[in-house]
This record gives sequence, C-alpha cells and structure tokens, in this order.
Amino acid sequence: MPENNILEMRQIEIQFPGVKALDKVDFSLRAGEIHSLLGENGAGKSTLIKCLTGVHHKDGGTIILDGREVQPQSPQNAIELGISTVYQEVNLCPNLTVAENIFVGRQPMKFGQIDWRTINRRARELMRRFHLDIDVSRPLSYYSTAVQQMVSIARAVDVQAKILILDEPTSSLDDNEVKLLFQVMRDLKAEGMGIIFITHFLDQVYAVSDRLTILRNGHLVGTYNIEDISKVELVTQMVGKDMDTIFNLKRVNVDKDAPYMLSARHIGIPGQVEDISVSLRKGELMGFAGLLGSGRTETAEMLFGATKIANGEIELNGKKTDIRKPYDALMNGMAFCPEDRKVDGIIGDLSIRENIALAVQARRGFMHPLSRKEQNDLADKYIQALGIATPNAEKKIGELSGGNQQKVILARWMATNPKVLILDEPTRGIDIGAKAEIQRLMLEMCEDGVSVIFISSELDEIIRCSNRIVVMRDREKVAETDGADCTQEKILSIIAEGAQSAGGAES
Amino acid sequence: MSDSRNSSSRSLISSIMNPKFIMVYATVGIFLVIYLFGAAAYGSKGFTTLRTFTNLFIDNAYYGISAVGMTMVLITGGIDLSVGAVASLTGMFIAYGTSVLGLNPWLCIAFSLVVGVGLGLLMGWVIHYLNVPPFITTLTGMFLARGVCALISRESIEIKNETIDALASWKLYFMQFKDGEWVRIRPSAYINFNVILFLVMLLLGIYLLQRTRFGRNIYAIGGNEQSAKLMGLPVGRTKILVYGFNGLCSVLAGIAYALYVKSGWNLSLQGAELDVITCAVIGGTLLTGGEGYMIGTLFGVLLKSMIPALITFNGNLLSWWGKIATGLLLLLFICIQKIVVSSTERRNSRTKKTKKSKA
Repeated sequence: MPENNILEMRQIEIQFPGVKALDKVDFSLRAGEIHSLLGENGAGKSTLIKCLTGVHHKDGGTIILDGREVQPQSPQNAIELGISTVYQEVNLCPNLTVAENIFVGRQPMKFGQIDWRTINRRARELMRRFHLDIDVSRPLSYYSTAVQQMVSIARAVDVQAKILILDEPTSSLDDNEVKLLFQVMRDLKAEGMGIIFITHFLDQVYAVSDRLTILRNGHLVGTYNIEDISKVELVTQMVGKDMDTIFNLKRVNVDKDAPYMLSARHIGIPGQVEDISVSLRKGELMGFAGLLGSGRTETAEMLFGATKIANGEIELNGKKTDIRKPYDALMNGMAFCPEDRKVDGIIGDLSIRENIALAVQARRGFMHPLSRKEQNDLADKYIQALGIATPNAEKKIGELSGGNQQKVILARWMATNPKVLILDEPTRGIDIGAKAEIQRLMLEMCEDGVSVIFISSELDEIIRCSNRIVVMRDREKVAETDGADCTQEKILSIIAEGAQSAGGAES
Repeated sequence: MSDSRNSSSRSLISSIMNPKFIMVYATVGIFLVIYLFGAAAYGSKGFTTLRTFTNLFIDNAYYGISAVGMTMVLITGGIDLSVGAVASLTGMFIAYGTSVLGLNPWLCIAFSLVVGVGLGLLMGWVIHYLNVPPFITTLTGMFLARGVCALISRESIEIKNETIDALASWKLYFMQFKDGEWVRIRPSAYINFNVILFLVMLLLGIYLLQRTRFGRNIYAIGGNEQSAKLMGLPVGRTKILVYGFNGLCSVLAGIAYALYVKSGWNLSLQGAELDVITCAVIGGTLLTGGEGYMIGTLFGVLLKSMIPALITFNGNLLSWWGKIATGLLLLLFICIQKIVVSSTERRNSRTKKTKKSKA
C-alpha cells in the first residue's frame, strides 16, 4: 500500500569532499508506522537524516512530503514542515528550565507576553505522560541524562509533527525507560505519526519496528518487513560480510608462568571504591564486568592515576610504583582509553594525525617534538593498520563516525607501545562491524604481549575475549573467574545476588 | 514565573529555592551587607538618607543604561567592547552638532541612534555570519567609534543648548499630599531624566528577557548555541538584534552621560565598557553565557556605585581604593560563580551515577 506514504525520498545523493556519503538512496515512510533505519557507523544513516532535517543539502534526488516536493533548508524549516527530530546527544539548553526546553521557540503567548503558567502546566502534563513527576521549573542541567533525553523526546512529540525522527534515543536510557519510550512510540504510531527509529540495539528494532531499511557505505541495501528478515540475515546485510568470520575471534592463550605486569593490592578511596586487588599477566586480557556505576571505571581511573588512591599499592612490572597522576602511569608504559570519547578522548577540531600523535608527544615531552614526517608516518601506519575510513590523515576527527573515532583513540595509545592498556567501554555506541574490529585489535595486541584491561557492559564481548573476568558490584570486586568456562548466566547471577539491596536507593 | 496560585506551598518554596536564582540572591545579599555596613559606619554623616540613595542612581545612570544591553549580550555568550566608545561618540555628535553646527539637538540624537544601532547590527551580522569572535569584532567597533570621535574634534566641547539644559536640569522630587497641598517628602532628594531613562530601559530589559520569545532565545543561545539552532530557533536574527539593542543602549548611555557632564570629549568614557561588564558580572551574569537577570544587573550597578560613595563618606581614603574594592568584589563574584557552577556539575554527576546504578 504505497498510497499512504507520508514521506518519500527518491534517489538521494549527497557528496562530501572526497566521499560520496549517499548514492541514490530510496527511503519511504508510511503514516502510522515505525520504520527502523539500520547500518554501520558511516553507512549514511545520519547523513540521510540530516538531509531530511535541513542540516545537509542533497546534491540529487527528490524528497516528497505529503505528496508535495520539499527541500528543507534548515532545522527550523524542517520543523515548520512537520519533521521533528530527537538526536543522540541531548540537544537542549541546560540553563533553561525543563518546561522551557519543551516550549522554547513556540511559547504560548497571552497579552503579548509569554504565558509561563500555561507552559509549566502543559510541561507537567507532558512529563506525566512519560511517567516523570519532576519539577519542570528547575533548570534542565539539574536532572540526569536519561531525564534530559525524555525531555527532548517530549519536546519533539509535542510539536504535533507528522514525522518523528529518533536518532539513537535509547543509548542513555535504562530498560524501564526504554519500555516507556516504546509505549509512547506506539501511542504516537496509533495517532498516525510516522516514526523513523535509529538504534544499534537489534532487539529494540524487533521490539517496535514495522519495517526496516538497511544502508551500507552510502548505498541502499534494502527495505524489509520486520517479519521477513531474521536477525542473522539483518546483521549480515548490515556488515556485508559473513557473520561467522567476524565472530570467529579466539581468546589468546596466556602462559601460566608469564610475569605479572600490573598488580594492585587493596587499592581504594574511602567512600568510593574500596579494597580492590587485581593482577594482570603479560599478554593477558582481563575483562571488567558489572553494571554501570558498579565501580569499574573508578577502578580503572585509580590504576591509571586519574584519581589518586588513598589506600593500597600498585606494582608495575614487579616494582612498587607510585602513580599519582596519569603522567606517571604513561611514563611507566600504561595507556588508558576513557569511557566517554566525546568528552575525555577526542579533540574534535584537531586532525586525525594530531590526535594520534598526542600521547606519543606527551610521553616524549615538549622539548622533543615529533617531526611532521614522524607524525605523518605514525598516522598513515595506524590508519592502514586499523582500517580507519578517511580520505586522509588531515581530516578533523570530529567529522568521523563514532567507530572510526574510537579507532583513532585506540591508535593514539597503541602508538605509545604500552605494556598495559586499559580500555573503558571502547565498543559503546558503535556498530557490530566496528565492534568486532576493535575486539580483534585488542586480541592482536595481547598476542604481541600487551596486557589489556577491557571494561564493557556487554557480557558476550567480555566472555568472548577475556582470559579472566573480574565482576564488580556496588563499588566492590565480588568475583574473579576464568574466562574460558564462564557463561553470561554465571556472571548475571553473581551481579544479581546483591542487586536486591541496591535497588531501593533511588527515589 | 512561579505559579504559586495553583500549587501547594511546597512548590512555592521549591521555586524560591530554585538554583537558577542563587547568583541574584548573592548579589542582593552582598549589597545589603555593604549597605548595612555603610549605615553603621557613616549613618550619622547621612549615608542612609534618601538623597544618598538617589545619588547612587543619578551618578551612575549611564552605566546602568549600558549595562542593560550588556547583560543581554553577555547572556548570549558574547561581549561588546564598543559601548564606551559609542557612548562617547554620541556625546560628540550632540556637542558638536548643537554647539558648533547649531543643529537641533533632537536631530543629533536621531543621527546618533541611527549610527549606534546601525553599528551594533553590523557587528552582530559580522559575528554571526562571518563567524568572527565577538571580542575582536567589537574591539574593531570600539576603535572605529573612538577614531570618529577624534575626527570630529580633539578638544572638549561644552554643550550650550536650551533643550539640553532643560533636560539636564529637570528634576522630579518625591511629593506627598499633606495639609491640602503637595510637599516634598525630602527637600533635597530627587531623580532626574537619566534615572527615569535607566529605569525605563531596565523594565524594558526585564520585559524582553522574561516575557518575549526574543528574550528566551537569548538564554537558549547562551546555553547551547548548537542546540538552539537544532531546536529551530532563529539564532542569527536574535544575535544581530541583541547587538543592535546594545547599540541602542550605548547611544542612550551616551545621551545620559552628555546630560550629566554637559560636554563632549573624544577621550571621555575610556574603559567604561569594562565598568559596564563589571556591573553585569557582579549582578550575577555569567561571562560564559546562559545565565543572568536584569534585576541582578540593577544591584550590580548599585553595588559598584556604592563603593565610591562609601569612600567619599569616609573622607580619608584615596579614591583609588574604589578601584581596589571593585576588583576584590569582582573577584569574589567570579569565585562564587565558579563554586555555584561546579557544585551544580558535581551534583549532576552524582545523580547520574545513582541513576545508572539503578539500571
């Protein structure tokens, strides 16, 4: 029934300097359907969306909205056309109140003045619809990211759009919040809204979508009804390679007598994380499993000196070492890829070359600058070795896709030839192909004798790669198991044992 | 903004305790502390009289008028260094126009308004569309205006004009109806045209910032310009209008200053832009944008003007102590802002963590 297509994009082409971002892509959306848009990072999903929201302008093709050809010129224009978008990062103003963030730009007026009372009342009603009973007159920055994300969805929903685009809205939401969001999505669908849903979580795709469209390298792979495509088929189509080769990753064998590279004994900071002991052999991959907030990141930060330990001691290479700041760790052959690459990792305005050279330069000291040639060699070597998709090393890192940014960060630390590498959620928010790539790189480094600490929320990753797994819960290390005979259920049951008591803390 | 009518007292308290007002409370609090100190130390010399209080307004109205526009610029996350020079240029236009060329003063004022507002709009356009940092753009505007001042005359020109004299010497006394006739409440306390202009601009500023979409867009831009753009707000238009409005305020400040000193001089009001920025910052406006209230700016102006008043009452201190005290005050407020901002961030990261651990 192609008649009720609310949106049709035909033969869309977008050219960026050096790359064809979209090549003759067709996409259609019906009124009252949830349509997932899938593809790896850099496949062109965001570009397609940004073409629709007026951020990018198409170089070819037509967009037909409600039977009329349109060309959104700007986000403002797109909103006027009835296209409303929720971006992955919360795109609201932290200094404005919750209520105002929902209504700014279209505030109800009364006698030539903004009608604050109506704004606050309607905002409260809207947030109740999302089962959030919060004080809407507080600044947005007062609330957690999950609440902020809900607010931005509330704003998008309230503009009475014909089309709602949700670009990875679930990455900062917990399970209950995701369920709630799906409920809202279904309600809107019933009201006849067309929803474009972008996510990396395949389960979520199957939970709410009616149809899905797959993009790969700027090309359209196909549009399918959700019943007509299996998960394996879907992933194969997205990645363009056979799944088996990707998941054919083997954990590295570690010599039982290999020397300990890093031993931490009873390290901790009172009130934060206490009494953690871990020891890591040469060439070993140690997984840190646990829920968000269980103390995994805090432990990694203590090991690297990003937060100073109050108790306990750290031994590197068999020698007791005083690590007070990241520089000490760096000089002792450690490297640390932090959790949030956007905040702590990349320097968006610098080129790939500069981002890669950063850690090496820091280690050499500013008195011994890397020559341009050394930098170029370094950048070229890693762009090739890690398969970073970019026309050249001078592209700003901020313009790369998430997976490629992560590879650049990895390259930055690999370039220092670390003995111990700590990776905090290196695979978060990137697609399956890039995830497998990152895991392969980690394992290769272990083969070369680097010891790796791998923090991840996805248990299958940890189990697949780790020689040993440390399980954390409530800011404590609760178990350490061998990677080879560990299962997802086993780790989950360890985590779940104490979860009951932790649940009641939040109001 | 509080909706006390249909809410319980709990939510009234919570809206009073809203963290977004902390900086205003700090400004008002410190103003009261210093005022009480002045009252205790120099009350006998007449510090607490209404006359002293109205003089705070009379002697600083031109700063206040300019601070209204500056507050808006700062909230967008910008800065305007041209305000002193534009005000000085306005004074030159009026002085040279009326006293040398013999033109109608209203014509001179109209001409100043066209030039000042035009320059503001132009600078806003350059800042937004050519993406030149506001600091550089308005520095250029400052040199430009200062240069034109010197071009007109390098001598101080006394303003001799009946209309200007009448405006400058017009006084409004506080009256009360007593025993069948109007009498002055305090014989020597009055406000003049400048004070009224200041208060009118302040009210206009409050109205624009709190009650119009234009004003709320200013806050949104200061909070996160990229987000504001993605939310579909008219970012470019708003920024250009803000600089235009600030140009208007600069011209009005220039008029007020011309009425205050009754002369025009090409080197007058040097560095005034920094005093104006100081007033806004003491009033709780964040230099990084997104936060600030007109009412805070009012108290910022009063605080800054109270320091020289205190020094005058003391009688033994050199007037340079005023600069030192202003510097210390500014430092204090920047520290308070830093603490408030970082404590908000800390609380947020904590709430985020508890949120996540629930997941």
